[in-house]
Amino acid sequence: MVRGLDGDGAAQNALLSALAPLMRGFFARRMRGAGDDVEDLVQETLIAIHTRRASYDRNRPFTAWAYAVARYKMIDHFRRSRNHVPFEDLEEILVAEGFQDAASAKMDVDVLLGGISPKQARAIRQTRIDGLSIAEAAESAGISEADVKVSVHRGLKALAEKLKGK
Amino acid sequence: MQTNDLIAALAADTRRISPRAAQQRLVLGLGLGMATAAALTIGSFGMRPDLPGALTSTQLWMKAAYTASLAVIAVLAMLHVARPDAGPTRLSWLLLIPVALLASMSAMELMTTPGEMWMPMWLGGSWRQCSIRVVFLAVPIFAALIWSFRQFAPTNLRRAGAAAGLAAGACSATVYGLHCGEVSATFVLTWYSLGIVAATGIGALIGPRLLRW
Repeated sequence: MVRGLDGDGAAQNALLSALAPLMRGFFARRMRGAGDDVEDLVQETLIAIHTRRASYDRNRPFTAWAYAVARYKMIDHFRRSRNHVPFEDLEEILVAEGFQDAASAKMDVDVLLGGISPKQARAIRQTRIDGLSIAEAAESAGISEADVKVSVHRGLKALAEKLKGK
Repeated sequence: MQTNDLIAALAADTRRISPRAAQQRLVLGLGLGMATAAALTIGSFGMRPDLPGALTSTQLWMKAAYTASLAVIAVLAMLHVARPDAGPTRLSWLLLIPVALLASMSAMELMTTPGEMWMPMWLGGSWRQCSIRVVFLAVPIFAALIWSFRQFAPTNLRRAGAAAGLAAGACSATVYGLHCGEVSATFVLTWYSLGIVAATGIGALIGPRLLRW
């Protein structure tokens, strides 16, 4: 880079050629294979790295500067294509979405189980959702194991009919 | 276009970039802008008639020192935001120093002046024009600074715009001192600062549009 800054065209060519695959990897990893966009961004970034090389401070690490340019280009790309994906918070968003799914699934289950007899609902919940064994469920409800099995069986049948009826 | 062709085309146009290129470019833009602003001041408002004599007065240097120190801080901030890998900066806190100094001068001035003189001192003879002219003169400087930024790579465009606006406002206020004969620190603190703040705000508003790359 420094030799390129000093006006050495061959060094600049070598630098940009070495950066191209790095940038391709950088964008490809973050954009899940939008091939044309990736190559466009690689080219735009190389142009910016070349034409704005005056903004590189020789006393600072070069890769940090180059990737900062690439990151800006990527954010600008998303802004232009109105595809708002805030990368910094992606993990949090995914976690929040997972939580929402789980919460609404739980609500659905509660509604469905509310529609059958409490004994059947309790048996299904304990053996199928909470993961208790038949023996444990029988003991906690104070009924026989056969009773638990029958309750689960009849409850599931009732649920299936309810769902079909909907 | 194939990426390899692009690289070859770019590399064919590799001019030498001095290690201090960013500073030089910024100084060049600032110089061009301030020259235009000075020409505008002398052309449309005229030089203050008492200028040669006023060069020895404290007030003139008080004004110049206030606006010039703001400008220096703004230029340092611009050099900082011009680089894409620059982290956050605390430079803006430095602005408090000249403001606090001028405010204490203004307070001393008010204490030594009888109360009925406060309003004339605060409003001076040109309070209606002062801030607006500062903003007006900031326009060519701002334009030149935006031009300088074309070789830079700011990633926080709003901050870059604000820094450029602040630099333009502070420089334009310095140049406007060639015309303005107001002497009170209270006047400068209010109306000059108002113009500079307005220029900064406008810079922050339009920066993201003008500086995109």
